[in-house]
Amino acid sequence: MTEPAATIVVVDDDASVRRGLERLLRAVGYLVETYESAAQFLARAPIAGPCCLVLDVRMPGQGGLELYQTLTAGGRHLPVVFITGHGDIPTVVRAMRAGAVDFLTKPFDDQELLDAVDQALSGKRRSSQ
Amino acid sequence: MASGLNPRLRIAATAALVCAAYLVGAKIGEQLRFLPVTTSVLWPPNAILTATLLLAPARRWWVYLLAAFPAHLIVQLGVTRPTSLVLALFVTNCSEALLAAGGVRWFGDGRRFDTLRDVAIFVAYAVIAAPFLSSFADAGVVSTFNDEPYWLVWRTRFFANTLTELTLVPAIVMAVTRGWPWMRDAAPRRRLEAALLAAAPLVIGATVFGQPFERLEGLRESPGTQLAFLLPVLLWAAVRFGPGGISLTLLTTTLVAVWAGARAHGPFAGMPPAESVLAFQIFLSVVGIPLLCLAAVIEERRRAQEALAERLRFEELLSRLSGSFVHLSVSGTDAAFATSLRELGLFLGVDRLVVYRLSRDSDEVLSAYSWIRPGAVVVPPLATIEGFPWMHAQLFAERPIAIARVEDAPAHAARDVETMRTRGVRSTLVLPLVAGGGVLGCLSFVMFTAERAWPDELVQRLRLVAEVFARALAQKDADEAIRASETLKSAILASLTSGVAVLDRAGRVVAVNTSWTRFAEEPAAWGGQARLGASYVESCRRAGVAGRGQASEAVELIEAVLKGLLPTFTLEYGGGEAVARWFTISVVPLTGPEGGAVVAHAETTEIKRAEIEAQRVRQELAHSARVSTIGELTASLAHELNQPLTGIMANAQAAQRFLDATPPDYSEIRGILSDIVDDDKRAAEVIHRLRELMRKGETESVRVDVNDVVRGVAKLVSSDALIRSVSVVSDLAAGPVTVLGDRVQLQQLLLNLLLNAMEAMHDGAAAERTVVVRTRPADRAVEVFVEDTGPGLAPGAESLIFEPFYTTKPSGMGMGLSIARSIVRAHGGAIWARNNPTRGATFHFALPLAGRTVP
Repeated sequence: MTEPAATIVVVDDDASVRRGLERLLRAVGYLVETYESAAQFLARAPIAGPCCLVLDVRMPGQGGLELYQTLTAGGRHLPVVFITGHGDIPTVVRAMRAGAVDFLTKPFDDQELLDAVDQALSGKRRSSQ
Repeated sequence: MASGLNPRLRIAATAALVCAAYLVGAKIGEQLRFLPVTTSVLWPPNAILTATLLLAPARRWWVYLLAAFPAHLIVQLGVTRPTSLVLALFVTNCSEALLAAGGVRWFGDGRRFDTLRDVAIFVAYAVIAAPFLSSFADAGVVSTFNDEPYWLVWRTRFFANTLTELTLVPAIVMAVTRGWPWMRDAAPRRRLEAALLAAAPLVIGATVFGQPFERLEGLRESPGTQLAFLLPVLLWAAVRFGPGGISLTLLTTTLVAVWAGARAHGPFAGMPPAESVLAFQIFLSVVGIPLLCLAAVIEERRRAQEALAERLRFEELLSRLSGSFVHLSVSGTDAAFATSLRELGLFLGVDRLVVYRLSRDSDEVLSAYSWIRPGAVVVPPLATIEGFPWMHAQLFAERPIAIARVEDAPAHAARDVETMRTRGVRSTLVLPLVAGGGVLGCLSFVMFTAERAWPDELVQRLRLVAEVFARALAQKDADEAIRASETLKSAILASLTSGVAVLDRAGRVVAVNTSWTRFAEEPAAWGGQARLGASYVESCRRAGVAGRGQASEAVELIEAVLKGLLPTFTLEYGGGEAVARWFTISVVPLTGPEGGAVVAHAETTEIKRAEIEAQRVRQELAHSARVSTIGELTASLAHELNQPLTGIMANAQAAQRFLDATPPDYSEIRGILSDIVDDDKRAAEVIHRLRELMRKGETESVRVDVNDVVRGVAKLVSSDALIRSVSVVSDLAAGPVTVLGDRVQLQQLLLNLLLNAMEAMHDGAAAERTVVVRTRPADRAVEVFVEDTGPGLAPGAESLIFEPFYTTKPSGMGMGLSIARSIVRAHGGAIWARNNPTRGATFHFALPLAGRTVP
């Protein structure tokens, strides 16, 4: 099991998805914060302690990929798991190059997500499929 | 006379004739002299000169006077007179002829002795004034040279010349102008009578003035008795042979009397020869002048009667001609023309008569009818009026053209004269045929054999004939036009596949075409059973009663058209139960004063079937278009479905974990289940919308809120919009905007417009990709605007963009907007596309709002 202190940040525009992920992650003992847009998340103060980002690739306004780039550009290198309803290969490749830990296509199994988050927190990177 | 000769030759011949006549006349005159005066008691040369000058044109007078000069010299020098006297006498002779001819020609005609006026002028100038005046000069000359007594010479010459002018001039002039036709045309009895009249003065003269008579006691003492025997002859001549006859008879009598007087016989035998001759001269002059006048009066009267008779005959001819053209068929008109031309030609004695058809713009003429005098030289009628520019102009100015002699034509008609000469025309009269305000042609009278006068009176009368002919031609044209139009109309009617019937005001069938008869056999088509004479309205009414509901409707409409309440109508009707056939009836009113209407029945089954088929194909096409649109949306729809599925999956798995905990967190699980239910509904909604769009089938007309449609479609494309980074903004009217229509079609319409807008912005910057959908209620319509921020329409594309297969996209079919337009039209609306003032384009459509009633 992982350290319980870790915070998982979920950014997704879909309220139902946000709530479902939040419950799932909370059920396994993570601290969970959800945001419905990149802008909302960026407005928050930096998180102290270990954390992992779960970002939706397609959102109105800034998408997950752009948000990640913004963070990287600002010197904040956080482990990221991307989720998308639209898993096209070029986007996956771009995400992995940018340093994504994992890339999940909706809908996904809970274990897949938990493994990806776990790996992200442990600093490991799953080899791409 | 010698009209065929070359003019110069003619003048020369006439001059020679004058010379010869003068010579003969002078010889005779020289013989008739009684001393003591040398002046002749009968001096023909002066009368011969006078007659010549009366007959010749004034410009040639000098030629003929000169021609007489050699004859004068020959005769005068033969009797050994002084040359100066001979010359002076020639001058006095010429002066008498000039005075006589000048006066007569100046005041009168000069060639005619058949009116009292002309005779009076002739007597005044030629018989009295000229001898009277010239005798003063003559007497002066003679008395000076020959030392003769002045007044005796004057008196002898005056009376001698008075008598010669009186007897000789009319005789010569009439012989020249009328002699030849008289000799040619006179009946044998008339010739015999003329011969008897010519012999009478000789016989009577010889008898009365001769020896036997003088033996009778008492006659010698009363000379008037002898003269009385001459009067019947002179009267006979005056009454029966006119001025010419009396003139010639006077001449013969004079010659006989002079002959008798010279031999001391005759009525004045007791006197010296000179006195006797003088007395006789006075007697003949005094009797001759009134007789000449009497002859002129008789002649005038005879001509007046003849003119009257001719006018009557003409009037009769005219009324016959007019009558023959009344109420004629076209062929009857042709026969009437043939008869009329023959009668007219024979009546006038012309050589040819032609009715030509002319047109103002063309040189071509058509010889419509013609007649040629039997035996006349045949010159073909004209085919062109090219050679008659002057006549053509005159005719179209509606002026008659009368040319008595070709030479008399006006100078500017030179071309026409030349053509007439070439064609051998001697004299012609051409009358325009005017009817209905236009020149239809002309009536041409032609003389090839002789010249002839066209007196105004005759021309006026013939213009009446021309009027009759013109009216007949106009009538014939009108009849032919009507017949052609009738033929055309019946051909058109016969060629129609529609059954056509003409109804009178009461709705009875008065005319039908063959197709109508076919419709009459057709049980599926109602009302076609009405045959000629039957009431069509009744026939329709029966069909209505027999259960054909539309027939009853048609009855009302037809009656409305017949009453003039309805301009026209068209009604489509089915062929009744179990008959898959359709017909169309259209009724158009007749605008004439009689009223009525034209009914046309056409079978429209094929058209109807084609329409049904087209409708089906349109629906198929719309369906395939929708399916294909949905195909395009697959990725975004997958996303749309993935969202609730992801939510469901995450929530369900979270619930499993919550259930594993002890104690299970039921409140958490309750929230999870509620979210799962919502997500499931979301997914179901997506699938429902999809199924709706994929639905195939009949269109239906229901009340649809356009705002709802916009909202639904906006939701449907929201994922796609997200993928394309397009923000879709709805700006909807406050209340519901309800139209009557097919919900699926309206969704398709908006979907097409939204997808089109989003695709248009493909190449633009992501931040600027915005589509705004507005709905706005307007007057009895709802207007919908779909605005994009793309590059806008290419110039000129506004009108093409809705055409099928018009596309600017490499992979597009070009059907999306075309389908959008057909949907809008099917809903009774209209659609436009235009560029925005700043950037991008707006598609804008308007649909009629549904009424307020709620079904």
